[in-house]
Amino acid sequence: MMSSRHALLAVGVVLSLGLAACGGSSLASTGSAKGAVKIWYSNNAEEVKWGDAVVAAWNSSHSSEQVTAEQIPAGKSSEEVIGAAITAGTTPCLIFNTAPAAVSQFQKQGGLVSLSSFSDGNSFIDGRTGNRAAQYKSPDGSYYQMPWKSNPVMIFYNKDIFTKAGIDATNPPLKTYAEFLSTAQAVVSKGGAKAAIWPSPTAEFYQPWFDYYPLFIAQTKGKQLVEKGEPQFNSPDGLAVANFWKQLYTKSLVPKEGAQGDAFATGQSAMAIVGPWAIPVYGGKVKWGVAPVPTKDGMDASAIHTFSDEKSIGMYSSCKNRGTAWDFLKFAVSKESDGKLLDLTGQMPMRNDLASAYPDYFSAHPDYKLFADQAGRSVEVPNVPNSVEMWQDFRAAYSKSVIFGNQSIDEAFKGAADQIKTLVKS
Amino acid sequence: MASATTEMAGTRVQPVETQGPPEPRKKGSVPWLKLIALFLGAIVFLFPFYYMVVSALQRDPNPNISGAFPNPGSLSLDNFIAINTAINLARTLLNSGLFTGGVLLGTLVFGGLAGYALAQLHFRGRQALFYTLLLLLVLPFQLLMIPLYVLIARNFGLGDTLLGMILPFAINPTAVFIFRQFFMQLPSEMFEAARIDGASELKILTRVVAPLTRPAILTATLITFIGPWNEFLWPFLITKRLELEPLAVALANYISTVAQRAANPYGTILAGATVLAIPVVILFLIFQRQFIQSSIGSGVKG
Amino acid sequence: MTVAAAASARASRTRLRSLLGEHPVGYLFVAPFVLFLVGIYAYPFFYAIYMSFFDYFFSAPGAEVVRPFVGLGNYARVLQDPLFHIAIRNVVIFLVINVPLTVAISMVLATALNAAIPLRAFFRAAYYIPYITASVAAVGIWLWLFSGFGLVDKILGPLAPNPSFLINGLLAMPIIALYVTWKGLGFYILVYLAALQTIPKELYEASKVDGASPIQSFFAVTVPGLRPATLLVVITAVITGANFFTEPYLLTGGGGPDNQSVSPVFLIYRFGIEQNHPGYAAAIGLLLAVGVLIISGINRFVLERP
Repeated sequence: MMSSRHALLAVGVVLSLGLAACGGSSLASTGSAKGAVKIWYSNNAEEVKWGDAVVAAWNSSHSSEQVTAEQIPAGKSSEEVIGAAITAGTTPCLIFNTAPAAVSQFQKQGGLVSLSSFSDGNSFIDGRTGNRAAQYKSPDGSYYQMPWKSNPVMIFYNKDIFTKAGIDATNPPLKTYAEFLSTAQAVVSKGGAKAAIWPSPTAEFYQPWFDYYPLFIAQTKGKQLVEKGEPQFNSPDGLAVANFWKQLYTKSLVPKEGAQGDAFATGQSAMAIVGPWAIPVYGGKVKWGVAPVPTKDGMDASAIHTFSDEKSIGMYSSCKNRGTAWDFLKFAVSKESDGKLLDLTGQMPMRNDLASAYPDYFSAHPDYKLFADQAGRSVEVPNVPNSVEMWQDFRAAYSKSVIFGNQSIDEAFKGAADQIKTLVKS
Repeated sequence: MASATTEMAGTRVQPVETQGPPEPRKKGSVPWLKLIALFLGAIVFLFPFYYMVVSALQRDPNPNISGAFPNPGSLSLDNFIAINTAINLARTLLNSGLFTGGVLLGTLVFGGLAGYALAQLHFRGRQALFYTLLLLLVLPFQLLMIPLYVLIARNFGLGDTLLGMILPFAINPTAVFIFRQFFMQLPSEMFEAARIDGASELKILTRVVAPLTRPAILTATLITFIGPWNEFLWPFLITKRLELEPLAVALANYISTVAQRAANPYGTILAGATVLAIPVVILFLIFQRQFIQSSIGSGVKG
Repeated sequence: MTVAAAASARASRTRLRSLLGEHPVGYLFVAPFVLFLVGIYAYPFFYAIYMSFFDYFFSAPGAEVVRPFVGLGNYARVLQDPLFHIAIRNVVIFLVINVPLTVAISMVLATALNAAIPLRAFFRAAYYIPYITASVAAVGIWLWLFSGFGLVDKILGPLAPNPSFLINGLLAMPIIALYVTWKGLGFYILVYLAALQTIPKELYEASKVDGASPIQSFFAVTVPGLRPATLLVVITAVITGANFFTEPYLLTGGGGPDNQSVSPVFLIYRFGIEQNHPGYAAAIGLLLAVGVLIISGINRFVLERP
């Protein structure tokens, strides 16, 4: 009796030692471990097509390193889902719609893997994206995200409404603020539109990315909201952009309430400020044209910067088989996969050589060439701590002063600048 | 023993007997004023539902007021077909049903037992438990959400499962509250008599109490049903597997992404919302008839 | 069993009884529910209390992070936060409008729907329907009605408020309160309908014999008879009302114009989940819970006279 109990104990000890040894070895080499990998991508219809194609291509040649894919919504809830998953340790290896604004938060949570920790990490990212890649580095100088695709924000306009309002629909006057304002006036009074342009006036933290921020970037020739810890929007340029939007609101050219559905697609709004992902949506519904965002005194189109509306790919710390994950990641942003992305979705891969790498595509889709060109001059949200809170505070100040006119812009922006300065310091 | 209980019950349990069957109407006196008022009210309440169904049936979007009164020619089932192509209505409805069914089971069985115990059984800690119940009713889901997600997905390992979806909703505290209120209405003398007769608690439960509980069960079902049926955030958090997605989640995802491409985005969304609402309406129509009948047949006529 | 044995068995049973109460089987009956409460609610609840004393944020398992202890710091900051003040103000406006309306309308409607009227099933279904309609549809309709381009605005013509209802700092909350009242009535009507079944018919007959008009019997018989149900309705309405979230989230797009229609739970969502400061959010949540408990306690005291 005693001896068999001893024997059992001995077996138990040996087994646990053995298991610990196994565990130990895999822990030590998670950086290069290979095996099955799970990914999440957004449920945007075209991106799903792309995702399925890329995963299938990989799986056919990597039978021992299979990739399984799941969808998560692209909308505002995706950050919650990712944040919750990080906390529970249920994140997949790669998530294909990681918003840059959330990266600092996910990093703080310990949820992201530094891509710079891979031996070819920095070189790969810099090689692919060129000098735009620097905006995606974290404050400590490492990459915690792979810049993937951008949707440079431009002004779409409804050619029919413009023609009806007596405006040249091939080359409409939208360069300076003055031109833009008078065009806006015309389309509302004569073109039959309810609104000249209809960005969402609601209070979510990301709304400034589609009204204030693109114009701010253009006006300041490429500045971010905050640079080196200093808010930049409290400058004459920043205030000029705010005053421009304010005029649109006070002249009732832009509604103060959100639209039901897509205002541009339903013809209620003459213009929209959005990126090329919307083209499949507008599809046959609207005859659209594209122009760069306006600046105060007008600039040459080839000099205008805008907001990138970029989405990155993150590798998450719950990933066991990081070797495979990194290999698949590089595969998913290879020239071929990027080409597929461009083809299927019309969104701009963050490649340095975008226009020259896919000449056939761009000659077949001249409209998209504009976006490819603009993508080279797109600016990201600042990668700073508390970035969500920062944008929320900014939105509150903007909403109060610009949209609803309950406070002077100078006062509101000064208050926001003070708040934000403390926030991004931590 | 059976005769003793019914005899005791019959002479005593008048409160449960008869408010249900309404007072017989005097011949010829239709309460017109009341009817008209009720009808106007019903229009106010029904109008949104009507508008939802009408919009769902329209081929082209019409945000104007005339959209509420379309001519029959422009009606079609296109939106329903569109939403079914985008979301597998049958599968998601089934998932909604399984999710809601699980919650109902847990609530009716365990919640009913608990409500009964809180009302009619005397044990130390009864009041304390009741107050705790109240306290927990107060807490909003958003406060508990992330720790709860960690608990269920990580600690219990129930991510991507139906059980994980059901667990936070398994026993609806409001239903327990309702059961308790209901059981408190039953006179304790009835139970005392049965106990004096030597009936065990379990026998009391099955012989005396169970036949009387129909109104409570109906009410509890109707109010418990809505929560999980329309719930979006939790199932969405706990599982990404499309096979497990309930309709409410699928619809919400659809709205945030794909909807805008449809020929009539608003219409397709409302088509999905209509499909989501119909089973509940049917359930209610069936159940509310039971409301009247149950009070007649409660088995306590003296 | 010998007499002595039986006596001692009875004695120990009585001792057990005095310790556990008359019906210890009650423990068995409530056990699953208690297990549920402890397993599902107690852990997150105590976790929330714990978080509220730290500058807390959620982190990945195994990540080493620093979370400074701040004691009552979060509570102090919440109490001084102007957004919190607006949220509390909104809850008060909401409850003042919603609770009395809910009690009154649902009581009257339930009574009316209980009587023998033609098409009773249709009417009952009609009043129940907003309750079961998913928020996305109900909000859509309400927006269609009350937005600046909506039906009500058009009908009111020159009388329409400017800015329009949902972006009007003064009107947004009352509109939300009306919306929630309208949407929730089905539930409360059901509760009252069930409760009405328990009022003895004899009381109505007695009052009729005394010559009371229908309105008088309503106040003399129905209202008092429904007191336990009213308590349930009031408490549930207060709790649901204090916790409203979907409306600021969906109806007024992220908290309304100038943050005018934020609610405490919406703030919990924004700070706790969007901005990952759950310690701060927990402080809001616990303060809110205490407030609601106090209100519920007062209600109970007023309504549940012995």
